[in-house]
Amino acid sequence: MSLQTLRVLEAFLEDPTDELSGADVYKRSGIASGTLYPILLRLESAGWFVSRWEAIDPASAGRPRRRLYRLTPSGLSRASEVFASFGKGVLA
Amino acid sequence: MNRRDIFTALPAASFSDELPGWVEGFARWLIQHTARNAPPSLSQRLEEEWLADLAAQHGPMARLRFGLGCCWATRVITHEHYAAKVPATSSVTGHKTMTAYAQHDSSFFSRRTTTFLLIVCLHAVLIYGFATGLAHPMIEVIPPPMQAVFPPDPRTRNEPPPLPPQPQFSPRRVEVPDPLIPLDAAPDTTTIPPQEQLLSPPTPPKVVNRVLGGPGTGFPNTDDYYPSVARRTGEKGTATVRVCVDDKGRLTAHPTLAQSSGSASIDEGALKLAQAGSGRYRATTEDGRPVSSCYVFRIKFELTD
Repeated sequence: MSLQTLRVLEAFLEDPTDELSGADVYKRSGIASGTLYPILLRLESAGWFVSRWEAIDPASAGRPRRRLYRLTPSGLSRASEVFASFGKGVLA
Repeated sequence: MNRRDIFTALPAASFSDELPGWVEGFARWLIQHTARNAPPSLSQRLEEEWLADLAAQHGPMARLRFGLGCCWATRVITHEHYAAKVPATSSVTGHKTMTAYAQHDSSFFSRRTTTFLLIVCLHAVLIYGFATGLAHPMIEVIPPPMQAVFPPDPRTRNEPPPLPPQPQFSPRRVEVPDPLIPLDAAPDTTTIPPQEQLLSPPTPPKVVNRVLGGPGTGFPNTDDYYPSVARRTGEKGTATVRVCVDDKGRLTAHPTLAQSSGSASIDEGALKLAQAGSGRYRATTEDGRPVSSCYVFRIKFELTD
């Protein structure tokens, strides 16, 4: 597992119940979009994440709807195992 | 905004005002264009997702960086999508999948080249913008057409205005009265005494009783200013210094050496002593009245047991 993938997982593990858009993960992890979105799609196809469209009315919100990602229970447990095996100090 | 709009709007853009908007439009176009090249099942989703996330970026450079990153993301996603699809379908529809992958790969090379050229062009535009100054419009003011104005030839100027007419004076007749004194009076016979008789007798020159000053009461002792070097080597001598003193006995200038003693240390000690004696000098008097003056005096240094 690459360091960038670990950083993405770390961004979600700050609060595992959070639903984050790609822009949110971009801000939290500092990973460039060219690396971030393939990781999100890869983890989603692997079952670590689920995603959905934001339930807003773009006209009333004044902005387009975002794609929100959330850790699945299995993704959360596997991410926790990964960090337990590597140790948190790896990312520091 | 399509590709033609992007490149036709570029030369006309005023870099100072429209550059952020142009960059954002370029980033949007980049995302839309690159998302269309993504796998069809993801194309619509990626375009909408990336455009929404693009709007969350702050600043034209961040948006441009985000858009360029999406180009790379499309490449990776497409590559992984088709690579993962090959082994799963190779047994059934392997020929079709491989064909699709090959077609996409060949078009990818073209897109990569296009992206590279776009990045090069973008750098060129930015460098040109920085070199010419983004804060100034390219053409500030169109100057009005020039008009030649010829000044009048000074040689053809009008003649100077005529002088005002001279005033007309009527001759006035002056009546001269007759003299009251008869002109045939006898001449004056008064004699003028010689010049020498008019001058006063010469006064004798005034004699001023001038008494030169010198070191007065309380003047420093030479023993206190005997140079230590001269004392150790047993040197002795007499230096002559020149001082300028006011009527209070104070120095009005630094003492100078009028005649050396032959020893540099003795001379230096003499000058220090003369300087230290300021205010202790006896002023020169003229008829008993103290006045400012300059005079010389001798300072003798000798060792005593």
